[in-house]
Amino acid sequence: MTAATTAVAPVSGESLSARRAQSAARVRALTLFLLGVLAVWFSLNAFGIAAQFKFWINEQGGASADLTTSVGVLWIVAGIASMVVAVLQIIRGASFRWRRWLLVVIAPWVTAVLAALLNGTPAIVTNVIGGSLEASTPITMAALAGILSERSGMFNIALEGKMLVGAFVAALASSIVFMVTGNTVLATVVAIALAMLASGLLGLLLGWLGIRHKVDQIIAGTVINIGAVGITSVVFLRILQHNTEFNNPPSVGAMRIPLLADIPVLGPIMFDAKPYVYVGYILVLFLTYMIYRTRWGLRLRASGEKPAAAGTVGINVIAIRYRALFFAGLISGLAGSYLSLSTAGSFQMEMTAGKGFIGLAAMIFGGWHPIGAFFAALVFGFADAVQSLLSILGVAVPPQLLASVPYVVTIIVVAGVVGRVRGPASAGQRYEQG
Amino acid sequence: MKRVTSFARRLAVPTLSVITALIVGAIAIVLTDFDAYSKLGTDPVGAIAGAVGGVGKAYGSMLAGAFGDPTRIVTALQTGNPKDVASAIRPITETLVAATPYIFTGLAIAISFRAGMFNIGGDGQIRLGALAATMAAIFLAGKVASPIILLAALAAAIVAGGFWGFIPGFLKARTGAHEVITTIMLNSIASLVLFFALRSPELRAAGSSSPVSKNLQPIVDVPNIIALPTLRLDYGFVVALIMAGLVSLLLFRTTKGFELRASGFSLTAARYAGISAGGSMMLAMALSGGLAGLAGGFMVIGTVGQLSLDISGGIGFNAIALALLAGLRPSGVVAAALLFGALTQGGKLMGVQSGIPFELLIFIMALVIMFVAAPGLIRSIWRIKVAKPAAEIATVSPTGASEAGTL
Repeated sequence: MTAATTAVAPVSGESLSARRAQSAARVRALTLFLLGVLAVWFSLNAFGIAAQFKFWINEQGGASADLTTSVGVLWIVAGIASMVVAVLQIIRGASFRWRRWLLVVIAPWVTAVLAALLNGTPAIVTNVIGGSLEASTPITMAALAGILSERSGMFNIALEGKMLVGAFVAALASSIVFMVTGNTVLATVVAIALAMLASGLLGLLLGWLGIRHKVDQIIAGTVINIGAVGITSVVFLRILQHNTEFNNPPSVGAMRIPLLADIPVLGPIMFDAKPYVYVGYILVLFLTYMIYRTRWGLRLRASGEKPAAAGTVGINVIAIRYRALFFAGLISGLAGSYLSLSTAGSFQMEMTAGKGFIGLAAMIFGGWHPIGAFFAALVFGFADAVQSLLSILGVAVPPQLLASVPYVVTIIVVAGVVGRVRGPASAGQRYEQG
Repeated sequence: MKRVTSFARRLAVPTLSVITALIVGAIAIVLTDFDAYSKLGTDPVGAIAGAVGGVGKAYGSMLAGAFGDPTRIVTALQTGNPKDVASAIRPITETLVAATPYIFTGLAIAISFRAGMFNIGGDGQIRLGALAATMAAIFLAGKVASPIILLAALAAAIVAGGFWGFIPGFLKARTGAHEVITTIMLNSIASLVLFFALRSPELRAAGSSSPVSKNLQPIVDVPNIIALPTLRLDYGFVVALIMAGLVSLLLFRTTKGFELRASGFSLTAARYAGISAGGSMMLAMALSGGLAGLAGGFMVIGTVGQLSLDISGGIGFNAIALALLAGLRPSGVVAAALLFGALTQGGKLMGVQSGIPFELLIFIMALVIMFVAAPGLIRSIWRIKVAKPAAEIATVSPTGASEAGTL
């Protein structure tokens, strides 16, 4: 009798959580089903509105491949997708891996909403995706910098401030070198190198505060963020504002990669862009290789997961963290230089506007993996590109509402709606080298 | 005697931090003196003297802006002409006016940091509080008596700010989303909300092309302490002092306050003691947001009298420096807020008289945070013997926050 009760107790606990999961699954299924009904209802009045998507085949403004359908059809697709996933959810119950299937629902919904907003105006998909790539590049780079530091065990809130300083140094250095030599390429190269160096030094400052002086890493990062806003604004207001020749860098424009850009459809999207975008691709692949395929990467990850164990086998955890922060600084400086040299064309006060933090969100969304972070950043870039597309076309949505989309998405992502994520175990904690 | 020395020791690091930060700020003033650079080739001595003189002028005008001219105050008080008295003591009262939102927001940050939550969202909470108070005042105008409007506006400010603070607390407790990211995103969203709200004809000042609200002064105004012309100091300052006392009571004399501090010190230990860590996070963030919202409310219906996009003016960020400088103690917050009020008020005159941008203060405040958070750095610069480093590290860095959450 006693044996039976002890055996029953854990089972009843399990069945309680199982029942909860079951009811959560039913709520999800019902929500998805209602979304499906909603989409079908939207489709009723939308069959008359054309939805046209254009892809440039070879070059901007050249021949295009068009996909033409109607908004109603897109709503039907979204509705069917929602209902199919709802049915799958009911059949598979609590064990259904709904987070992945959510993508199947979100993609047609976003397309349908976009087409409905465009209301018959053709959308040039090449430009939207290309724009997403360009907008995502600084976010990707910030995310890569974040991955490097967090894999080594250091929180890096300071990305935002480092990008701002990078943007500032790049604009100033490029303007001066261009004024003196008149050479665009030289000016840009020197400017980027100096911007990277300045941000790298800030990375070392973060390490020095966090490791040597044991300042909480969040506070140390906040110091750099606030200080960067202060000092760049002071110099901007005291010097650059009145002497605009110091804030007039030659712009970094698009660069076609000869053979790759000739690939139909894909070429104009991926290989007819600003050089920063290509550097972004290379960095993503290079860091993936470095972090997961080299001894250096193994040691880096060990310092972030279990620094005590890493230290025991003779790895110099502190040196690894300093180096990681320096490299992270270099990358964020590069990201910052993109903002002032290419996107905006000059330095503006507080021009990073949260991109460093959005980069951290992309890092989390991408599971601390460079390739994951690249696609996560692309989502944010897409939000950005869609926002500019809609505002150019003058769609009747309040611009503030559109502008807040990336921030809201960031909160949703960080809150783990895409799934509970787990970062390096020891990131943010102090480490004493024995 | 022993108490005196330990008190002096406790003040040593904050005081030296501020002094060092001002020195570095002076170096920044010299280095950004562009006119001096162009003269460096022809007249190096004059250029350097001019740049260094610029520092004296900048900090001198900062002092005058913060405290006024003492001889003028004495003579004005002797003559007793209300107009003269008002203009003589105006710098001091303006310093207190500037200190008021700093006290509220500094207390807000102190509560959240004590509970292990890095509330970087003070700015957003101030904006939302200010917006709610403005909306309450405009929608209730002419419908109820003005004391009721006053109370309703302040209540709306507390609720709106508290809600904006509660969101990151809730997200951290439920999902582990790091509050630093969520509060910063909420700051951006708050400014967009404000911008959106100020487009509506109900709120916007008639005929104004820039996004500012109607003047709220005719509808509701917090009563002034000194009834002299041009003085703006009102009872918001008194409420701020009372709040400091209440926060002190809450944190150090109540069970809830103990639970908040325990969660901030170590989440794991708090959980083992049966404290609901998630509840502490949400409560601390809601209280924190409410206080910051109150700062915004008192500004729009009191000293400023109008809602504008930059109503928060970076107070939420500066309050972080302030709260750390104060060692997260409410009494320290009041003292540090008076200092920051003086810096802010003096910084305005500095901007007008010497052309040094107000943003220099942001840089100086970042340095203050750095030095206070790294007492070892200050000690090695000023060669002070180590007193009790372990205790100090514990007070300025809530470690509990790092144990949970993804960042």
